[in-house]
Amino acid sequence: MVNNIENAVKLLLHKYEVKANAELNLLPGWSFLNKELNDNDMPLLSWRFNRRFIELKKIVSDEVVENVSMLRFCSLGDPKIWSLNALMYREFDLCEFITGSRITYLHATLSSGLAGNIIVKLENGTIGSVEISVQAPAGKPLIERHEIIARRGVASDIVVDTQVPQSSIYTFTENGDMGYKDVDNELFGMDEFQVEWIRAAFQYLKDPTQSENLIKQHDHLSRLVESALRSNSNKLKVKVA
Amino acid sequence: MKPIKIAILSLTHGHTRKYFQTLNDNPGFEWVAVSAESKKVQEIFYKYGYDVPCYMSDEEMFEKHSDIEAVVMASGNSRHLEQFRMCAERGIHILSMKIPTFDMNEYDEMIKLVEESGIICQVELEMHYNPVVTRMKKLFSENQLGVVSGINATNITLSPVWAFPWQGVPEESYGKRVPLNSNNTRFRGGALCDHPHIFDMIRWLTQSEFDYIFAEVGPNIREELEVEDIILVNGKMKNGVSFLLDPSWSRLEERLVVPGPGWEVFPKRMEVNFNISGEKGVMLADCFGPNVYHNGAPNDRYTVQYTYFDEWIGMMDEFIHCVRENNTPMINLMWHKKTIEAMNACYESIETGQPVFL
Repeated sequence: MVNNIENAVKLLLHKYEVKANAELNLLPGWSFLNKELNDNDMPLLSWRFNRRFIELKKIVSDEVVENVSMLRFCSLGDPKIWSLNALMYREFDLCEFITGSRITYLHATLSSGLAGNIIVKLENGTIGSVEISVQAPAGKPLIERHEIIARRGVASDIVVDTQVPQSSIYTFTENGDMGYKDVDNELFGMDEFQVEWIRAAFQYLKDPTQSENLIKQHDHLSRLVESALRSNSNKLKVKVA
Repeated sequence: MKPIKIAILSLTHGHTRKYFQTLNDNPGFEWVAVSAESKKVQEIFYKYGYDVPCYMSDEEMFEKHSDIEAVVMASGNSRHLEQFRMCAERGIHILSMKIPTFDMNEYDEMIKLVEESGIICQVELEMHYNPVVTRMKKLFSENQLGVVSGINATNITLSPVWAFPWQGVPEESYGKRVPLNSNNTRFRGGALCDHPHIFDMIRWLTQSEFDYIFAEVGPNIREELEVEDIILVNGKMKNGVSFLLDPSWSRLEERLVVPGPGWEVFPKRMEVNFNISGEKGVMLADCFGPNVYHNGAPNDRYTVQYTYFDEWIGMMDEFIHCVRENNTPMINLMWHKKTIEAMNACYESIETGQPVFL
């Protein structure tokens, strides 16, 4: 973990009186793609701790929208932070986390490691599109959309009639235009992605019994990413083992 | 640090349920009991499944749990003074709801009770622990806008009266039955009484006090209410900042007895927004956004599903710190008095039809 993340996790451990093994390497799962996990490595599904995705999952599992038919996910990132593989790993997991169903096959078209479009099909019959790119300018926060289309209702993390994610605060000053989004007062100063990472690490340290499931899901997501690469190379739909 | 043995009184305030998780999760508290004002309220509490005893009177609860150190006073405004007296007598610290009272004699008695008994009293203005407000304060402290000239703030919501009836009863929300003015059949005690946050925040942000204040009510959008639901306020701070505040219940609601999904008719049931204009530029802030959105059950209406409400965590952390370290809370009775005076000035302005100087 990088220092500020580690320090924030330590603060939470101290505040909530959690005794934990601080030597673990708790990173977002995509960081371990193509690497052998050692004993201290734990691939976190940190985005699952983002309140947006928790609420979207709840909207589906509580049947606020019923009978999900299609997902429309999009994630356009800064190449200094993201790779296509990392974005696929994250978005594939979000497909499964939000719907509670597993991806069974996919067809991917990827362009030179820069952009890609994938269609996935889930066990429950839901289909999904995953649009990814790492050609956003450096320093730009991830531009995302997660839309869920169901027989009853649509849910989304983008407000109707807009194209871009919103901020909480906008300033238009002589120094230029700025947007700010702060989502967690207890972790004030951390951006949305740092917050979800810290929350995921803290939750893992509180309840290390998740290890087995986390590693299993990491293996599965790694296979999904490999399948997408193979699908692109072979120009074929690929069934996921 | 030894956990504070804490209880909740009454369970009739709209914010009551916001405390449950924090009291349960924070190791700084040992949540020992609650008291309920009615069987109905008790039944609702038990449905949450917390292993905390619920008594039908404050006295019985205090008798059975003489070790209670602090309470969340989650009652209607008209009950606060009697509960302040009860707590002060027992040396019990108080987390007061956002309106301790509108009666300034009662308010002064509360200050005296707190001072003489040596208890801590923190007033629940949870917006101070909202991450967007924290960012706004930081941007202000960095002087990003330069000298501020104007602030527009909204604290607009649906009306909670169908779930929390005391909020529509003048005697219980305002403390007595006072007509809005001689030409009006409505009384003080509605939307204004529910929304002190923006009156407080403008003082905090401008570091100035109210100079004069003007308020006007519109026709109610809920004709059956005997208190105001549409109101606008403007005026100036002593440092010259012009302000416009909207503390209305301008979002219609389904008349649910227990708040839950489908409560809202307008997609966003509650907003606290700021538009601020300064010499270097402007700032727009939405303290409860962005979120996620759907048009599903129960009413198939486009709906904002909120993604964060963690204000109570920071607020209760401060309460623990103040109780254990004997510190004065940021929002204490003395600080908050000027906010209540400004809200009273709004009613006076509605009555006289003219601005009121403070």
